[in-house]
Amino acid sequence: MKRTIILTGLVSLTFFSACKKENVTVQKDPFPFETITDGKITTVKNLPADTVVGFDGIGRPIGAGIYSFYSLETNTWVPNKDSATTKWDLAFAGTTIRVNNQTSGPGNGGAYVYTGTFESLTSIPNDAIFAVDNHPLTYAIPKGSGAGWYNYDGPSNLVTAIPGKILVVRTASGKYAKVEILNYYRGGVTPSATAPTELKIKEQRFYTFRFTYQPDGSTSF
Amino acid sequence: MQRFFLYFIFASIILPANAQKDSFPSLNNMLEEVVVTSTRTENKLGNVAVPVKIISKATIQQAGSLRLKDILQEQAGLFITNGFGAGVQMQGLNPDYTLILLNGEPMIGRTAGVLDINRISVGNIKKIEIVKGPSSSLYGSEAMAGVINIITDNSYKKNLEAALRYGFGNPDKGWSWPLSNNTFKNTDFNLQGAATIHKTGLQFSSNTYYLDGISYRPFSTERLPQPQYRISNQIQLNHPFSEKTTLSFLIRHSLDYFKQEFSVNNNGTIIKSFGREANNDLNINPVLTHQFNKNIKSSLRLYGTLYDGNQRLNFDNKPDSSYIDQFRQNFYRIENQTDIVLKKSRLTVGGGYTVDQARSTRYDNISNTKQNNIIYGFVQHEWNPTSRVALISGFRYDYNRLFAAAFSPKLAVRIKANNNLSFNASIGRGFKAPDFRQLYLNFTNNAAGGYSVLGSIDAVKVITQLQSIGQIAEIKNDFNRLSSLKPEFSTGINIGASYYLKNNFSLTLNLFRNDIEELIDSRQVATRTNGSQIFSYINIKNAYTQGAEIEANWQPMKSIQISSGYQLLMSADKEELTKIKNGNVYVRDPNGISRLIKKNEYVGLPNRSMHMFNLKLTYETPSHFFATTRFIYRSRWTVADSDGNSVHNIQDEHANGFLLINVSAGKELKNGLHINAGIDNLLNYQDANFMPNLQGRMIYIGVRYKLI
Repeated sequence: MKRTIILTGLVSLTFFSACKKENVTVQKDPFPFETITDGKITTVKNLPADTVVGFDGIGRPIGAGIYSFYSLETNTWVPNKDSATTKWDLAFAGTTIRVNNQTSGPGNGGAYVYTGTFESLTSIPNDAIFAVDNHPLTYAIPKGSGAGWYNYDGPSNLVTAIPGKILVVRTASGKYAKVEILNYYRGGVTPSATAPTELKIKEQRFYTFRFTYQPDGSTSF
Repeated sequence: MQRFFLYFIFASIILPANAQKDSFPSLNNMLEEVVVTSTRTENKLGNVAVPVKIISKATIQQAGSLRLKDILQEQAGLFITNGFGAGVQMQGLNPDYTLILLNGEPMIGRTAGVLDINRISVGNIKKIEIVKGPSSSLYGSEAMAGVINIITDNSYKKNLEAALRYGFGNPDKGWSWPLSNNTFKNTDFNLQGAATIHKTGLQFSSNTYYLDGISYRPFSTERLPQPQYRISNQIQLNHPFSEKTTLSFLIRHSLDYFKQEFSVNNNGTIIKSFGREANNDLNINPVLTHQFNKNIKSSLRLYGTLYDGNQRLNFDNKPDSSYIDQFRQNFYRIENQTDIVLKKSRLTVGGGYTVDQARSTRYDNISNTKQNNIIYGFVQHEWNPTSRVALISGFRYDYNRLFAAAFSPKLAVRIKANNNLSFNASIGRGFKAPDFRQLYLNFTNNAAGGYSVLGSIDAVKVITQLQSIGQIAEIKNDFNRLSSLKPEFSTGINIGASYYLKNNFSLTLNLFRNDIEELIDSRQVATRTNGSQIFSYINIKNAYTQGAEIEANWQPMKSIQISSGYQLLMSADKEELTKIKNGNVYVRDPNGISRLIKKNEYVGLPNRSMHMFNLKLTYETPSHFFATTRFIYRSRWTVADSDGNSVHNIQDEHANGFLLINVSAGKELKNGLHINAGIDNLLNYQDANFMPNLQGRMIYIGVRYKLI
């Protein structure tokens, strides 16, 4: 709790001192999320992603099955009724992230996972292969612990975003963006391994990520 | 109260007014102490070529220790782990790799590799010998980090002694005890005696221990430590048939009983459960020793031990059904050891046969007994080419039914440069055989996502079967490595020097390095169609631990002794280190942004303190008054890979370093009555998350009375 306050304090401090920043809080009942744009980089905080409503037969948390659709192009949350359009680029539900193509949507989306830092990815190589979703079997951003952007530890029941994993995304309209998932828990802080299970369940499925979108259609950032 | 408290602090620092007699333990006597664990033969501590520490009965009594954990946590270089009881981490190796012996025979009944040292009462202990560095050349499996040998009283002189200790504390009320809600009480009663009847020596001891449950977690019904009763009884007989032949017989039984109350989150609802756990431990050890002539001595040792752990929990939502966890291990051994004294050297040869059996509800079927048979032989040669040099070489070979054989050689040398200074060096190979859990465990956690952990033998069988009915979504590459689990091996090097000055100062330095190969770790081997993970054990890791240990003892005046120890420890998983060197590991800065890890941010293996420090001040008068203050410091240790980069780094979740201060004082009165009192954990340090079994401050008083 203390850490969260400090973190928020730090963010607001930098917000006031940097003139290029734009801070928007979107009220999406009951969970507000926030976007901060600083130059080329936009950070989305606490985007809910099908938050937990119950458990399946073997005790795993399940949501209501409602994706959070997001447009990197316009930096906005896209209502569910537009799920069959090219208005969105990424859709989040639990640890699943879908791109707007093939079995997921009508767009020209695609993605692959790059290993390195966000800053070190300055351009997409020509031979880069963008994968597409084949729901529910495979996804452009692979599912599973250690396979894509996260690790899941069974004994501590925690999902952690692997540092140094960057999602390279082709948007619904065929433009490019790089996305770094920062955290999977509300407030951007992973609970302690010893935290109560209730807390780990309640606080999960809130994405904090940052991205750079290249509007001119080129492959450099 | 304040005055009482200050008394204890200063009692150990205040200088003595009346030091007279020469009845003090002097450092010089220390070198004359006899050690048996390092070579399996009697040796003077001053002649031993490997790092050895002896903890005497006086030390144990002055510290007011009740359980083995109490006294071992006060030793530098020993880190007491939390989880599955209290385990001993030695030279940075997990509790799995330290062999714990009771009068030379192994204790069994480990949970997840941990032998809970709270199981052992120290009431009847004569001394504890701790040998550091691989000792598999004499002891076989588990003696990879070292050996702790608990030697119980074996005097048959007529005596009878009773001791009672009562302690209490209140973790959240500071000093305002005793009768508020959360006050806990601790009672320990010890009775022991000996007699010799028609040449047959008889020795017995009986210990009863009770500790209240304590709740450190606010709003939780769960009590840690759990309310517990521990009872142990031991009888030892010794009959000399002639001057040359002696038969000894030991039987020990202990029962540890816990009352349990848990809250478990199952599918989002809190289920309260209550029940009990009862663990029985039985050891039987007849030994026949025969001295053939003045140069040849041989002993035949039989050993049988049983550990039975039994837990039953009832749930408030399902009154008709209960959770039962049972684990039973039987261990039988026959062993011969022959010592031959030669000119300038001594030869020890031995061999034996072990049957190890276990059955458990944690395996596929409780009625299905798992068994391993081991046959082994060992040779050791102690050679003194000159009076200043000792050269010890030896090896042991362990052959068994279930996995690859182990060959464990060792070489050690000690050189006395002069009367004050000596050097020693040793290199040895240690091993740990895969245990039954790693071979046969069959565990599924239905409360948290349904993940399973399967022993390596069962994993292949179970996964193949699940696959045939279409329940496996994915087989991981590591599945192919499951077929044959090998023992874990280590190569340990210890290089040290000891310096003694004028009988009142000693300094010992030891540098160590353990290279561990084929470490067994659990890895995901498959995924079920419902997405839940299946883990199993494979030989996958290579790691090292290295460091330095310094011990100093100083007796500035006869009545004052200052001893301190420090251990520096570093460790690494070698693959992780390579990945870091190759620039493949990232961490997050405080804002969550990824960057490359720096090499100095890597902490190596988790759950290890880099710095451990102990300081003990003892004040002792010839009139049998003593006072001690002990400081125990452990630096922070990493507990989880909280940033998901699969390595442990300084940004990861860690437990804070801590300082414990224990004080005690006592006085022997003329009529055989001895009184003592003390405060454990004076600073009331608590860490509910990472050291749930650390009690808060406890104040105790005790009496010991020699009836005969």
